Amino acid sequence: MDVPREVIMALVLISMIIPALNPLGLPLMVGDMSRAWYRTVDELPEGSVILFDIAFGSGGYPSLGPGTIAAFHQMFEKGHKIIMMATDLEGSMMYPLIMDSVKPEQNYGAVYGEDWVFFGYIAGGQTAMAGILGDIRALVSTDYQGNDIDSLAVMDGVNGADDFDLVASITTSGDIAEGWVYQGYSQYNRPVIGGCLSMMTTSIKPYYDTGQLLGLMDGIKGAADLEFLTKHPGDAIVSSDILSFSQTLVLIFIAVGNIAYWIQKGGNS
Amino acid sequence: MVSTDPQIWIAAFLTLAATSYAFRDNKVFKFAENIFIGVAAGHLVVMGVKNIRDYGWAHLAQGEIIYAVVFLLGILLYTRYHKEYYWLYRYPIAFLVGNGIGISIRAAIHSDFTVQIAQTASPLIASDAMGTINNIILFIGVVTALSHFIFTYEGMHQGVLGYAPKVGRWMILLALGASFGNTVMTRFGMYQGRVVFLLREWLQII
Amino acid sequence: MVDFRRDIPLAITFIIGVIAVLDYYTTIPIFINTFTVIKNWGVVLQAFALGLGAVNLLRVHGRRISERRDDWYFSAVLLAMMFIFIIVGLITGQYESGATYNWLYNAIYLPLGSTMYSSLAFYMAYGAYKVLRARTFEAALLFTTAVLVIIGNTPIFPAMFPGFFHIREWIFGPIVGGAYRGIRIGVGIGAVVLGIRTLIGLETGYLGRR
Repeated sequence: MDVPREVIMALVLISMIIPALNPLGLPLMVGDMSRAWYRTVDELPEGSVILFDIAFGSGGYPSLGPGTIAAFHQMFEKGHKIIMMATDLEGSMMYPLIMDSVKPEQNYGAVYGEDWVFFGYIAGGQTAMAGILGDIRALVSTDYQGNDIDSLAVMDGVNGADDFDLVASITTSGDIAEGWVYQGYSQYNRPVIGGCLSMMTTSIKPYYDTGQLLGLMDGIKGAADLEFLTKHPGDAIVSSDILSFSQTLVLIFIAVGNIAYWIQKGGNS
Repeated sequence: MVSTDPQIWIAAFLTLAATSYAFRDNKVFKFAENIFIGVAAGHLVVMGVKNIRDYGWAHLAQGEIIYAVVFLLGILLYTRYHKEYYWLYRYPIAFLVGNGIGISIRAAIHSDFTVQIAQTASPLIASDAMGTINNIILFIGVVTALSHFIFTYEGMHQGVLGYAPKVGRWMILLALGASFGNTVMTRFGMYQGRVVFLLREWLQII
Repeated sequence: MVDFRRDIPLAITFIIGVIAVLDYYTTIPIFINTFTVIKNWGVVLQAFALGLGAVNLLRVHGRRISERRDDWYFSAVLLAMMFIFIIVGLITGQYESGATYNWLYNAIYLPLGSTMYSSLAFYMAYGAYKVLRARTFEAALLFTTAVLVIIGNTPIFPAMFPGFFHIREWIFGPIVGGAYRGIRIGVGIGAVVLGIRTLIGLETGYLGRR
């Protein structure tokens, strides 16, 4: 039995459209890794300074965008100061999309320059991380819009790693996820939390297991968990219904493929 | 009510064009593919110029003349297209390689080696039976998976010792299965974002 | 006799790498200050390197257009889009934060980027049907955890029977944790050894072949 490729593709597409049109609103079970992320941010005293790397672009946005939005909701809600940067080329294009959803001024009375700042994209991967953690002013003199960082209140007394209470990154790149552990935890001894695509979770998890990452947001599943924990339901929770249908279809494909294989094998023998 | 925003229409067309490859290769997909490569390269240049301005030119403008050297090195990167002086590009590349290796290995020894081994060498007995069983499985997993990659000692894969890399191989296969399961979720989680865009922003039916 | 084509680059790699390591293991100000400048230079150099891709594309596709090869007009579209982004990004002096640039990004780059990377979902489904089969004992191991993790990741199943979710969480505990920690240690050792070999000039692949 051989189902044509086009039929399988069409079924996959339909399995995503139906639940998007008719959401089921299924209950969610929160994983330990996301709970640890939430707890780490939650336990920081109000006004803590967080270095946040938006390290994904258009490819990762559907998976990681909702989680980043939920993370910022929690951080602004708790009154933390956020120093944002991007080690992904498209990170600075994700920034306006994310802020349009979080709306920190409107929702939390936060002010740009006083409660958060965005440096924009900094090339170099780990070199950029080490540069920011080592001596910010030796590397960066302006924010992404060209404002002098010394004119921004949020930067008062923030010079390097010792001034960050937490380092957070959400990324589609294994090198960046690893890099923040290397530079943030090993080199500068800061508490670090990380988020990555689910398919990267298995390889990043040893850092979480050994306490080098205090929390780990596991792709779209972690994003849904964080939306639930922060009580800001968004696209990740909507995706849970779609995943229920489309992944069930994958399970059916696996079952059909295997049954056909064993029947054929039985016939041949 | 379908969107009337031209930006949404362009985005919807390109989403469908890029998806069409899943069904069959076609000219519309090729068109979208070439646009993608073009805009990605254009974006690279824009971000590159901005970074040179913010992190290089800014220092030079403040009188840090030594930054002229990095501009010279940067320009040397482009000599690789010259038939005679192509070798000059090795200077900036050598700088990048030295810097990249230096920055990563100093911390990798700690993160990937010292901490991982120290955590594995911690007591196996936990406060509850399940915790102890998990610790034992984890310990066996680490040791056997590592033994699977020892190729310099032939005896490792023979006789009684040979069971260790074999069990390691099984552990790795089990872990790779989990990795596959999560990869399925990643890809579906990504594409559902486009489906929601088409239904919500473009067709406006959800 | 110093070979400027080979010896100088090897010396640069060694010196920069050693300063980076000394910055980590010592608190001597000269190394820390020197390495701060090196890090900044690294960022600027990486930024210069970003243009290499565009130059390559210009050479390859420019040739395709001038020689009128098959589908040359796709190359023309590619280069046109590249120049549109460059001109819009640079001419306003606002780079990526300009309104027009943002409009173009959201209309063109965002949908294409999202869809190109996510289209693999279709192949995952097709692959699951065609390839993921429990043919042997070892394939069955991979098959078992793959299926259990997909079930645990599919909210409808844990909603019916929460045990599916706990099984998935358990697999990610000792099984994934153990095997990947072993792999991580192995990869770490490999990366450090390769790094040291490169710093002392035993690996010279990055210098190119010519």
